[in-house]
Amino acid sequence: MKPFAFVFAAACAVAAALSSAAPVIGQPAPDFTLTDSTGTPQTLSAYKGRVVVLEWTNPECPFVRKHYGAGNLQKQQADAAAAGVVWLTVNSSAPGKQGHLDADAANAWVSAAGGHAQAYLLDADGTVGHAYDAKTTPDMYVVDAQGVLRYMGGIDSIASADKDDLAHATQYVPQALAEIAAGKPVSVPVSEPYGCSVKYAR
Amino acid sequence: MEPRRYDHRPRVLGLLLAGLACAGCAAADEPAPVAVELISEYAGVVPGQPSQLGLRLRHGARWHTYWINPGDSGLPTTLKWTLPVGFKAEDVDWPLPQRFEVGGLYNFGYDGEIVLPVALDVPADAKPGSTVPIRAEAKWLVCREECIPGTAALALDLPVVEAPAHADPRWTAQFAAARLRQPQANAWKGEVHEDGPRIRVTLRGPGLPDGDGLDAFVAERKVLDNKPPALHRDGDALVIDAGKSEYFTTAPATLDVVVTAPAATGARGWSVKVPYGAASAPPPAPTR
Repeated sequence: MKPFAFVFAAACAVAAALSSAAPVIGQPAPDFTLTDSTGTPQTLSAYKGRVVVLEWTNPECPFVRKHYGAGNLQKQQADAAAAGVVWLTVNSSAPGKQGHLDADAANAWVSAAGGHAQAYLLDADGTVGHAYDAKTTPDMYVVDAQGVLRYMGGIDSIASADKDDLAHATQYVPQALAEIAAGKPVSVPVSEPYGCSVKYAR
Repeated sequence: MEPRRYDHRPRVLGLLLAGLACAGCAAADEPAPVAVELISEYAGVVPGQPSQLGLRLRHGARWHTYWINPGDSGLPTTLKWTLPVGFKAEDVDWPLPQRFEVGGLYNFGYDGEIVLPVALDVPADAKPGSTVPIRAEAKWLVCREECIPGTAALALDLPVVEAPAHADPRWTAQFAAARLRQPQANAWKGEVHEDGPRIRVTLRGPGLPDGDGLDAFVAERKVLDNKPPALHRDGDALVIDAGKSEYFTTAPATLDVVVTAPAATGARGWSVKVPYGAASAPPPAPTR
């Protein structure tokens, strides 16, 4: 069991200890602090009171390119920002692995992609990726204003690298955000993520 | 994953046109990550007799494509067929998967050379002397660490002939190898027990494998986590002890279980359908 699983209340630590490192829907999301691409520390719990989206990314992964290439992620990010939701993009590619970016490269990439995330977090040692058991890029998580995990899994309902499938796919994060905003339960709280494997250090 | 006994189908005849394709090849100076072609075991098709096609995948060193359940990431290879009226391509008879580990994540699929067999149903009113245009759109994801999606429009024109069909000598070895990579039929019975974060599959029946190096897979996604399960003999039973998927939402009616064992020439393996029904019943205390 990794120490960061114990950052929240004892109840959370017990729940985490009973299962794997994977976070649990309805339980507090693992807290973390990561430095973003502007050099600013970003702490999840500092956003308590606001809904937070975590997006795992790898700029060279074809599945990530599908969603950025079609403008899908930029639109979701902009819509989330307009609704007061914090969107944090996380890159857990290890140095030397596909998609690893340093701060400057990350800023350049966000600028070129026209991204609207609040921050681009650098997780080169994979600590936060492992805390969330992020498996693929993209892999999405929604944490509510109380810090509770409300969604984890795929970006949408059609596992493919084809942009043509976007028109027919249910986008799970906007759906969850709308339901949370309306005070409703999240109708699809878990889905299986699809995409490239996260390029963790071995 | 009921193994279709395609090896016992009547012999049909066949001629084949290889559609070689490498969509999305990364760079011109690098060998293709995978070469894909459509092949036929026979040099022609016979009215009313099923025939045998295959998608042949030749992977570059360290590249792999995916099984029907790709594991933690990846996508299964798919085929979308365009065939004349009356012809029908069945689902892929998935060969035994291999397990790939990358950075603590697990994937299931194939490296090296593999043929994905597909049975072709031929209508009784197919006219000898005519030609059957077989068209398929193949899609795959090929990965080593990085991944490249690929697609190819594959074509094969086969003559309709009177029985008997003759094997196409170019692909005899490929289809023979493909048969060895198919799960074997068996008379095993199984049951599933959920135990908190674990799922235990207990198999009983004649000829259960023993020894080191056993592995197990399920065709359904979102049931087991993708880590290597523990396999052990418990008396005359074989027990597969696996983690439950964190994406588990609903239990499938049945679990298509594949067990593989190391063999002198690659792996051999078996498939068995296990009802998931009374999975919540407490399991007997495990003994070793």
